[in-house]
Amino acid sequence: MLPLTSRRVVLVTGKGGVGKTTVAASLAMASARAGKRVLLCETQGATRIPALFGKPGKGYEASQVAANLSTLSITPQEAIQEYVMLQLHFQRLYRMVFQNRVMGPFVDAVPGLHDLVQLGKVWFAERETENGRPRWDQIVVDAPATGHGLTMLGAPRAMMDLTRAGPFFENAQRIAEMVEDPGRTGLVLVAIPEEMPLRETEQLFDRLGPMRNLVGGVVLNEVRPLPVSDPAAWPADHEALLVGAGSELRATVAIVDAELDAASRTAGARTRLDRLGVPRVDLPFLFRRDLGRTEIESFAEVFARAS
Amino acid sequence: MSAAKVILVCGSGGVGKTTLSAALALRLAEEGKRVLVLTIDPARRLADALGVGELDNEPRRVPTERGELRALMLDSKRTFDDLVVKNAPSPEVRDRILGNHYYRFVSERLPGVHEYMAMERLLSLLMAEDADVIVLDTPPTRHALDFLAAPDRMSGLMDEGVMRWLVLPATASGWRMLEMGSDVLAGVLKRLLGPTTIADIAEFFSGFQSLWGGFRERSLAVRKLLRAPGTHFLLVTAPAPGARAEAIAFLEVLQKDAMPFSGFLINRCAVPAPAVLPWPAAPDHRTAEEWAHVREEVTTALERRRALTGAQDRAIGDLLAHAPSGSPAWRIPDQPTDVHDLASLRRLGVALHDCGAVDAILGAG
Repeated sequence: MLPLTSRRVVLVTGKGGVGKTTVAASLAMASARAGKRVLLCETQGATRIPALFGKPGKGYEASQVAANLSTLSITPQEAIQEYVMLQLHFQRLYRMVFQNRVMGPFVDAVPGLHDLVQLGKVWFAERETENGRPRWDQIVVDAPATGHGLTMLGAPRAMMDLTRAGPFFENAQRIAEMVEDPGRTGLVLVAIPEEMPLRETEQLFDRLGPMRNLVGGVVLNEVRPLPVSDPAAWPADHEALLVGAGSELRATVAIVDAELDAASRTAGARTRLDRLGVPRVDLPFLFRRDLGRTEIESFAEVFARAS
Repeated sequence: MSAAKVILVCGSGGVGKTTLSAALALRLAEEGKRVLVLTIDPARRLADALGVGELDNEPRRVPTERGELRALMLDSKRTFDDLVVKNAPSPEVRDRILGNHYYRFVSERLPGVHEYMAMERLLSLLMAEDADVIVLDTPPTRHALDFLAAPDRMSGLMDEGVMRWLVLPATASGWRMLEMGSDVLAGVLKRLLGPTTIADIAEFFSGFQSLWGGFRERSLAVRKLLRAPGTHFLLVTAPAPGARAEAIAFLEVLQKDAMPFSGFLINRCAVPAPAVLPWPAAPDHRTAEEWAHVREEVTTALERRRALTGAQDRAIGDLLAHAPSGSPAWRIPDQPTDVHDLASLRRLGVALHDCGAVDAILGAG
């Protein structure tokens, strides 16, 4: 297991298209199977996760998709409403300001507010109790892609900077305390063995600065298997196969070559990610491209086995 | 205004918009066009791909075999600053805005501002630069929706009704008026955001008031540009089941607002495996047993490839079933190496040509 078990909040980020949602769902599933009550949150109004489990979602409201595992989708609009009404205790204010046709768009445009209130929802979930104990043992967040993810992590500080006093300032400070505490919050970076996603992961790690201590692990997704068990012997086989070969055999050799290339990129990717000095877990490429509960469970198994 | 064709390359994150924009631009240049490519991607990837290092908001020449290619990277903050400088009625107003605390947040972090500035930069390029084609790379879909809505939203935000409310508090009588009509509102805003924020925001908007006309005019020009006959939207997507929802959502936005959709670029399609595997006799360096083992492994590799291309075909079929009938879809084969230099961009450009996308775009409007 990645050293995340003790963290109440796990944020998953990476370049667009690398499988953040898959990784978030699998990590959540691994914790749920280990007996934790887990809340899995999508952000920016994304609603992909319930379908992965073959269930209808309930949007902003938590709905159970597997044993010990519930999911919800955070939209900035609903998060703002909850933030102002429940966290700042300003019911009247919400109606006056945010539902005001004139003021609404203006306050809505306050820089960083959307990112802040989405983290605010996570903070709120972390503190929720049920029968006198925390409602959720762990909250896994499918966070926005790298650049935006970093902005989101910095949103509480940005709000503190902007407001400098007042209830927004104080609340942002409490959220900053959660996000910046490596005992409470862990970050998982997802990459695939390709140049740009790797570079973005390295850059993100770099730009995290003092928040680097939050990174609990990296996941190398879409790792392709070696097409031949002895790659060193392949060049000779390749030559032999091409002697007098027709189009089918030439196409076949090209496919094996391409898969070998992909495998060698994987080796390079491992070396680069390991330089970050955080634990790494590899997940296999799914040739059938199907992603559902079965695949999530098998990935959860990989996370559970990784030590 | 230049009569350049404008090609907007859109799609969700990680599908290869930046690389395809660069490859398309290079290909069009080498077919003899004068091409300008603008990336608004904050990860500065186009600069890497074109090997031109740091781009700086101004077009830079990229070496080509034929035609003319110039590339630039959007600097959103600088574009906003330029706009303020150009439109400010006096140096005092200009400095007051540029030095305002809230302006710094607005120009760097306001959601959608990056997208809005991309459209602004596109407009200024169209006005100032001589080119046959301008290729615009765009941020991921969620943001791309923002960027399509940005001109409308900005002109809405700058609507006079909103203005009056925002600017009034900047003056003592404004606060009084606001407090008379709705004292709770002003008090509440002060309590919520802290008194200095409100003062900053009020100062920003009051300084900005004199720039309004210019901004609004340009927002409307961008709006018109996005619907012009020489504008083409290409939607890049992956041949995977998860990609459909976002691609269709984006297409619906385009159609709702009557923006011209040219077709899907289905990027990184795996090449199909041959249906049969004719297997020659064992070569000298292999025993019959070893050779049979190699055959087994190669057969497995082909089976995996068939699983992949089968999934791919289903995903593309599914996408097209949800798109308006007759939507063009060009399959771009997966490239054997990472595309990060001019030679590999050129190969990708050839693939764009071979699948018919380039001719379709050049032939249309």
